Amino acid sequence: MIHFQNVTKRYGEFTAIDNLTIDIYEREFYALLGPSGCGKTTLMRMLAGFETPTEGKIFLAGQDIAPVPPNKRAVNMMFQSYALFPHLSIWENIAFGLKREKMPKHDINDRVEEMLRLTRLEKFARRKPHQISGGQRQRVALARSLAKHPKLLLLDEPLGALDKKLRQDTQFELMDIQEKTGTTFVIVTHDQEEAMTVASRVAVMDHGKIIQVSTPDRIYENPNSVYVADFIGDVNLIEGTAKLNGSDSYAMSWHEGHAPLSIKSPNAFSDGQKCHLAIRPEKVAISADQPAEADNAVQGRILDIAYLGNISTYHVELPTGAVIKAQTANTRRIARRAFTWEDTVWLSWTATAGVLLAD
Amino acid sequence: MTLKTMTMTAVVALGTAAAATAEEVRVYNWSDYIDEGLLEKFEKETGIDLIYDVFDSNEVLETKMLAGGSGYDVVVPTGSFMARQIQAGAFQKLDPSKLPNKGNMWGAIEERTSKYDPGNEYSINYMWGTTGIGVNAGKVKEVLGEDAPIDSLELVFNPANMEKLASCGVHFLDAPDEMIPAALKYIGEDPNSMDADVVAKAEPVLMAVRPYITKFHSSEYINALANGDICVAFGWSGDILQARDRAAEAENGVEIEYNAPKEGALMWFDQMTIPVDAPNPEGAHKFLNFIMDAQNMAAASNYVYYANGNKASQEFLEEDVIGDPAIYPNEETVQNLYIKEGYPPKVQRKATRLWTKVKSGT
Amino acid sequence: MRRFVLIAIPYVWLLALFLVPFAIVLKIALSDAAVARPPYFPQFDWAEGIAAFIAELDFENFVWLTEDDLYWKAYLSSLKIAVISTFFTLLAGYPIAYGMARAPEEWRPTLMMLVILPFWTSFLIRVYAWMGILSNEGFLNQFLMWIGVISEPLTILNTNSAVYIGIVYTYLPFMILPVYSALERLDGSLIEAAEDLGCSRLTAFWLVTIPLSKTGIIAGSFLVFIPVLGEFVIPSLLGGSDTLMIGKVLWEEFFSNRDWPVASAVAVVLLLLLVIPIVLFQRNQQKQQEAE
Ligand SMILES: Nc1ncnc2c1ncn2[C@@H]1O[C@H](COP(=O)(O)OP(=O)(O)OP(=O)(O)O)[C@@H](O)[C@H]1O
Ligand SMILES: [Mg+2]
Repeated sequence: MIHFQNVTKRYGEFTAIDNLTIDIYEREFYALLGPSGCGKTTLMRMLAGFETPTEGKIFLAGQDIAPVPPNKRAVNMMFQSYALFPHLSIWENIAFGLKREKMPKHDINDRVEEMLRLTRLEKFARRKPHQISGGQRQRVALARSLAKHPKLLLLDEPLGALDKKLRQDTQFELMDIQEKTGTTFVIVTHDQEEAMTVASRVAVMDHGKIIQVSTPDRIYENPNSVYVADFIGDVNLIEGTAKLNGSDSYAMSWHEGHAPLSIKSPNAFSDGQKCHLAIRPEKVAISADQPAEADNAVQGRILDIAYLGNISTYHVELPTGAVIKAQTANTRRIARRAFTWEDTVWLSWTATAGVLLAD
Repeated sequence: MTLKTMTMTAVVALGTAAAATAEEVRVYNWSDYIDEGLLEKFEKETGIDLIYDVFDSNEVLETKMLAGGSGYDVVVPTGSFMARQIQAGAFQKLDPSKLPNKGNMWGAIEERTSKYDPGNEYSINYMWGTTGIGVNAGKVKEVLGEDAPIDSLELVFNPANMEKLASCGVHFLDAPDEMIPAALKYIGEDPNSMDADVVAKAEPVLMAVRPYITKFHSSEYINALANGDICVAFGWSGDILQARDRAAEAENGVEIEYNAPKEGALMWFDQMTIPVDAPNPEGAHKFLNFIMDAQNMAAASNYVYYANGNKASQEFLEEDVIGDPAIYPNEETVQNLYIKEGYPPKVQRKATRLWTKVKSGT
Repeated sequence: MRRFVLIAIPYVWLLALFLVPFAIVLKIALSDAAVARPPYFPQFDWAEGIAAFIAELDFENFVWLTEDDLYWKAYLSSLKIAVISTFFTLLAGYPIAYGMARAPEEWRPTLMMLVILPFWTSFLIRVYAWMGILSNEGFLNQFLMWIGVISEPLTILNTNSAVYIGIVYTYLPFMILPVYSALERLDGSLIEAAEDLGCSRLTAFWLVTIPLSKTGIIAGSFLVFIPVLGEFVIPSLLGGSDTLMIGKVLWEEFFSNRDWPVASAVAVVLLLLLVIPIVLFQRNQQKQQEAE
């Protein structure tokens, strides 16, 4: 539905978006993820029409949208700051866009009521924005941007101001709404967990470039770069050199005096090429004794234990000085926890547990 | 009703607060009304510090006098205003023993000023003049023809003339005390009438010419005449002569002429007096005596182009002052001059109201 | 004790700078004009006591104000001039304030200085400067004739147009500053949101910018309207003799008629007329504070 074709945006000397080409499909929930200042908002604003690309073209449903002003685009944006009109009631805020369409009065009524119901705001219709809570405001902003049946809804960090519980609730609400309305959503977020939860596809950006676009699980399990692996979730990175060991198996030597690690990887490496093993903490097992049949096992000393309630993360220092994180689910009570500080333990993982990434 | 003065007086009021250590005399006179050299001369001769402030509206001076506590030792109201202020008790009697130069004064003038100040007990005359018609002769003749009545009230009160003059601009003084008597004179009434019904007769005369008057203002006509912006001004003799000199200096081809209307012109007198609460009446007397010196008075007149009430000064006057009938009118004209006293409050209110109506139509 | 002093300061202020002068003016308004120094009667005399003094006061002067149509015509004319010039000041001030609020951040203090700068010269000098600009052979006419727009000088000085120009010029900062502060607080994303929801630039301005700067507009309008109603200097210097304003009438009562009591009565009525807009203004300010 949307096609960015070699889009570049510069502010003076500074390049905010760098020769970017992406596609966003109909009915998709597309998440933009990336560090602060990487160009997410800029991308959105170009879609909404508040910025024009310095180079390249943006197509919406096959049509170049460069000459279309913001008020003529079938795109609505939910602003990072909500941007509710303080002088209008909740009801009038939601009706604002509809009135501009010269919709008949009773149709406006129906539509606003529907939106109020959808966002569970019926009780607040007559209040002004400063008379409701932050979470309610956020829902008004959502209702307002949805009211016009946009083909594309842009959400710029819509949940940044909410507490975790409310955020989670709202995330599910958003998904629910997206399913019901069939609108294409593009959401910007800082929070990778949020992106994983709501999106059907996630795009990871850095310095105005898209690094990887994929489904949440593939982004997590199969990051295409050290940057993505590191940015999404927790990861252990072990540096070494690859050596082919069978068709798609590699032996990675990583430290003298230690046995090479055996890894299966779909990515091809040449012998002696520098590479990184990225492995998620929850895929690293921890045990007191050397496991009998592990593909890889290393010994270390517990440096630190982070207790997170449902899980614990152990920071284990290897003799090489590197620290590896391992996660276990807390199925037992703390008092009978197996390991404590300074314990010597074994870490192990299978050959398919991690991915091998180029430098 | 000029504001320039109001600010100046405000500034002055601040200055007045300063402490008086050395002996000083504070004089409050009209703006542009003295040769500044005289001020220095006074300080040198007496060793008294002279503080000289200026105003340019009788109303402003009067308000200060009536409110009291002005801090001035010598002030210079116009006769008709002064009469009322004397009644209100604003001034103190002069001490003749401290005024040896009083013998220099001109009996003919003192006789007239005694209408305002019986016996000239409170004041001495500083300058006097007439109120009349200043014209840009060339332009007026262009509009009205060669025999334009430039020396007659016909020029400014006959609507037929005024209608034509409107095209080249006419200014009237914004002063009911001057304009109402002139209008009364034009229709043959007593210009000095204190009768409200007689005063009311001036209204139709003034209303008839009102549409043709460019502006009612008491000082702008000097420049306007000199620049050629207007062709007629009903104003004070000295001011119009000043306009004449400015035009001559500018060499802009504008020739200004002053005439006291032949039907009769108002004669006014600016009198020097001492406020009842003057801080230094002793010094004030010294100043009055200094001014009454024949040579000093002549110097003042030579500078400002107004006639003075000092007979002895006349031998020191320059020829273009004493010899100019616009300043020192000839005997025949003097016969026709009239004076006007201040209106009593009720009549004054009528006059002001009439004037507001003339100016604004309401 | 310190609290008491803090609370007392505004009241002492009000008492010393408003209520006491007002009481004096009111007292004069209730007296009769007299040829005396000061020119009214009765004068307060301790010996005769306060009761005898009050017995001499009456409302004659206020009755007089209703008897001559000059006064209400002058009040109405002032009202008209105040309304019209407030409107034009808004018309001129709003775009300036808007431009300032839209200007790059680093420019704004400079622009603000430029707005305030004229206050550093005397107000009278600035009005006199306008006389030089507007007169028949003034800069404006010379310029217009030089570029050939007109062949005969326009008469602007000494007309109501000159009064409006003078008032708009003088009071412009009083309009710009409150409007600017309202516009500066305005969140730019609200305009974008309006455009996003289908507004053109112009409708976004009408539906969002104007309503959200309403408090500034109201505050600015009152700050202009209230002093202009009693304005005296500008109409006397720039206006024609037919410019009728209550300030001028007051001047004439005071200076020409020497009728301090009637002049005071005019002033008291003017003040009472001003109380209404002042109270409305206070309301607006209060509402604005509550909204924040
Ligand atoms: N108007 C502008 N002028 C100059 N530079 C700008 C402008 N707007 C954005 N930038 C720069 O472009 C880069 C991208 O900005 P953008 O707002 O898109 O970041 P973002 O990814 O949304 O960041 P965040 O997550 O913090 O909101 C930033 O480095 C920013 O400084
Ligand atoms: Mg952003």
